[in-house]
Amino acid sequence: MASAAAATAAAAASIRERQTVALKRMLNFNVPHIKNSTGEPVWKVLIYDRFGQDIISPLLSVKELRDMGITLHLLLHSDRDPIPDVPAVYFVMPTEENIDRMCQDLRNQLYESYYLNFISAISRSKLEDIANAALAASAVTQVAKVFDQYLNFITLEDDMFVLCNQNKELVSYRAINRPDITDTEMETVMDTIVDSLFCFFVTLGAVPIIRCSRGTAAEMVAVKLDKKLRENLRDARNSLFTGDTLGAGQFSFQRPLLVLVDRNIDLATPLHHTWTYQALVHDVLDFHLNRVNLEESSGVENSPAGARPKRKNKKSYDLTPVDKFWQKHKGSPFPEVAESVQQELESYRAQEDEVKRLKSIMGLEGEDEGAISMLSDNTAKLTSAVSSLPELLEKKRLIDLHTNVATAVLEHIKARKLDVYFEYEEKIMSKTTLDKSLLDIISDPDAGTPEDKMRLFLIYYISTQQAPSEADLEQYKKALTDAGCNLNPLQYIKQWKAFTKMASAPASYGSTTTKPMGLLSRVMNTGSQFVMEGVKNLVLKQQNLPVTRILDNLMEMKSNPETDDYRYFDPKMLRGNDSSVPRNKNPFQEAIVFVVGGGNYIEYQNLVDYIKGKQGKHILYGCSELFNATQFIKQVKYIPLLFVAIGIFQKRERKPLTHLNQLQPEPSSYTKIRCRHGRLRKP
Amino acid sequence: MAVDITLLFRASVKTVKTRNKALGVAVGGGVDGSRDDLFRRSPRPKGDFSSRAREVISHIGKLRDFLLEHRKDYINAYSHTMSEYGRMTDTERDQIDQDAQIFMRTCSEAIQQLRTEAHKEIHSQQVKEHRTAVLDFIEDYLKRVCKLYSEQRAIRVKRVVDKKRLSKLEPEPNTKTRESTSSEKVSQSPSKDSEENPATEEHPEKILAETQPELGTWGDGKGEDELSPEEIQMFEQENQRLIGEMNSLFDEVRQIEGRVVEISRLQEIFTEKVLQQEAEIDSIHQLVVGATENIKEGNEDIREVPHL
Repeated sequence: MASAAAATAAAAASIRERQTVALKRMLNFNVPHIKNSTGEPVWKVLIYDRFGQDIISPLLSVKELRDMGITLHLLLHSDRDPIPDVPAVYFVMPTEENIDRMCQDLRNQLYESYYLNFISAISRSKLEDIANAALAASAVTQVAKVFDQYLNFITLEDDMFVLCNQNKELVSYRAINRPDITDTEMETVMDTIVDSLFCFFVTLGAVPIIRCSRGTAAEMVAVKLDKKLRENLRDARNSLFTGDTLGAGQFSFQRPLLVLVDRNIDLATPLHHTWTYQALVHDVLDFHLNRVNLEESSGVENSPAGARPKRKNKKSYDLTPVDKFWQKHKGSPFPEVAESVQQELESYRAQEDEVKRLKSIMGLEGEDEGAISMLSDNTAKLTSAVSSLPELLEKKRLIDLHTNVATAVLEHIKARKLDVYFEYEEKIMSKTTLDKSLLDIISDPDAGTPEDKMRLFLIYYISTQQAPSEADLEQYKKALTDAGCNLNPLQYIKQWKAFTKMASAPASYGSTTTKPMGLLSRVMNTGSQFVMEGVKNLVLKQQNLPVTRILDNLMEMKSNPETDDYRYFDPKMLRGNDSSVPRNKNPFQEAIVFVVGGGNYIEYQNLVDYIKGKQGKHILYGCSELFNATQFIKQVKYIPLLFVAIGIFQKRERKPLTHLNQLQPEPSSYTKIRCRHGRLRKP
Repeated sequence: MAVDITLLFRASVKTVKTRNKALGVAVGGGVDGSRDDLFRRSPRPKGDFSSRAREVISHIGKLRDFLLEHRKDYINAYSHTMSEYGRMTDTERDQIDQDAQIFMRTCSEAIQQLRTEAHKEIHSQQVKEHRTAVLDFIEDYLKRVCKLYSEQRAIRVKRVVDKKRLSKLEPEPNTKTRESTSSEKVSQSPSKDSEENPATEEHPEKILAETQPELGTWGDGKGEDELSPEEIQMFEQENQRLIGEMNSLFDEVRQIEGRVVEISRLQEIFTEKVLQQEAEIDSIHQLVVGATENIKEGNEDIREVPHL
């Protein structure tokens, strides 16, 4: 029993590790990479497109690329000069333009040999195009290896991945949910998502059991993914899931559970203000593919009149798995982070003083009889100090990094009173009594940007059981417009709410509260940089967001009206592709949650916290794109409102009222599904 | 899991070939294509640079193989007690050291030469960068192989130092009394036990052998002189004191040696760092010079502007 547990624990190798190993193997000319300290150097050039760049950059630093022997790394569509006598490793998507450019490279004889790696599978016809170009350039022998890598997804954390970055407008929330989408467009979007998910499972080496809710985009993805996996498994010759890819003992006992959810089950979480470090950084600063970009204002001094305004320094930091502080604290509440940075700084200073003290002791040499006896210790100390210097410098760099980032975040918190918003929203979402009226907060000119107020109001609107009365609504609207908000998102949310109300009762958010711990904290007492006066030291109480709850139900096989009618797909089963009766009665040890339509760090953190309490279970979180509240509101703002009356969903015959839609022949089959669903579910 | 579709690619190539033949489409010039082929291949710059780089690498590889081959024999401390096959005399070791050093020097010179030549005729930024990186790799390889060499040399040096230290345990001849010889024997045996090197077995034997004739002379001389018990006691005390002094000196010397080794290691590290900083300081110097120039020019420009 213990060995089985150990096997599953070992088997849950992080997705980041697997992708990194796959990349390193690719860079090593598709041969597994073994470290050999006296090996001869081999050099190569890496050519990638923007997709490849996004995949590689969170995983391998430039130094690591150097260690693998890569002398140059270049974009595919840049000007490249011929470099004789060097093999080139390509890592690109098999699109038309990329293929054309590669053929051009072959014709121009840029490099000595070519190792072509395609991020997702290349079609036969495109392969023939390359063959053609290679023949024309008499370069067939130069094309040494061609591989399909199946790496079409971006891993950001050990247990979190995103589909793509370059073409995220294609699979954005807006793209999936706009009413004027045509069937073909929807097909393309779904195909893109399914392709990435398929690559993900190939890299993971497991065939999941799929569960999804009905009548949503997630269902379409599930159907397609099931079909694709099934086809691949049937094709025994070319199956990607054969025994040798799986590795001993991995998933042989248990298959993972894939839960596909649609963003529309929970629109409050993307709008929520947050209090944990990573989520805050994503919400408040420019955080992208594990890189945060800060603008440092260079001081508040008054510049002499007529002088050019001081330019702000832009700094960007990479938050990587090597950064121990980040790994430890990315899920901690912000005050804890501030305290920890202080602690780290103090311990670093102590170590620095140690080293400096040695310097002065060294100065005693030769003066003192007693000093000579101390010397033997001190040489040892000096050696250890010198060898620990690089470590110390690295620590200093990290402390600087986090001080800067945390200060930037703190500035935002203080300026916009984000702690107030967070507390209030938690109260709303958990349905406890509110001590301050919503209207007060909205009309308060000091607290927050117009966007913050909009978010707060939307969360309130989403979470209340009964819609506010017309008069109240007008009042709120007026207050919002006075504060400077744009009311478009409200329209969308109204519509969404009406729709989901018919589908199911809106999910409740749990019944626990946050406990404010008072205004003072140790941080303030020690006079640190992080003066958090006026900022509440809020403690997060664990409460499960809707996505976490759904996962809990499905993973633990709990019966719950919300998830009981989720569809069940098992690509390994021989006949039939849909049954509502789950065959598997045991709770799952591994689960992958994928949100179609977009996700964020708050959900991720919630899942991480949930699974921390469970021994031996692992969760991976993925989404089609990552957005923070600002980006989400922007998308929602511009979704055209074509169906004004809610009655559209009740009667198929009634034509929509706005003029724009009269240009279209008829609603696409996708919206038909929604209509049908609406009808079925009407009480 | 990546899928190797190289065979598929080759099959595609064949398909395209046959299709083109069937269609009568010229593939890059048809018949002429093959001729172009020959013409195209030869003037392609084969890369003088890269062939020389590969030469250097193969040299370093040879050095590495040479070192690894003889490493076992080199390190083998018991060589003088073992059979013919494993033996390596000190002269042979010195020879290896010398050869290795000469080799390493030539290799690093070759790398330097390549570095200066690499940037001469090339105008492309990418090629320059590539070559610099390649040379960095080769240097790194050389460093790693040199580490092999310096490791085994350090072991050898340490052994020699240990041996020398032990050989200093030999007492000064003809100054000790009969009693002190016995106490020396006693003091030698514990030190003999503490040393692992069986080479030291020779020394106590030598000492014993030396003291035997001494005993003999003393024995003869003793008959002429009678030592009073006080004198015997005095001599004994003196002996003890001297032994104590020698021991403490010996300890101190050992300590100092240890420290010196450490200090030398530290110095190595420091020199490395200083050399690194030299490069940086050079570049800073250049920048500062450039900056002063710019400031000077700026000042001049400002002075030229007529006052508004």
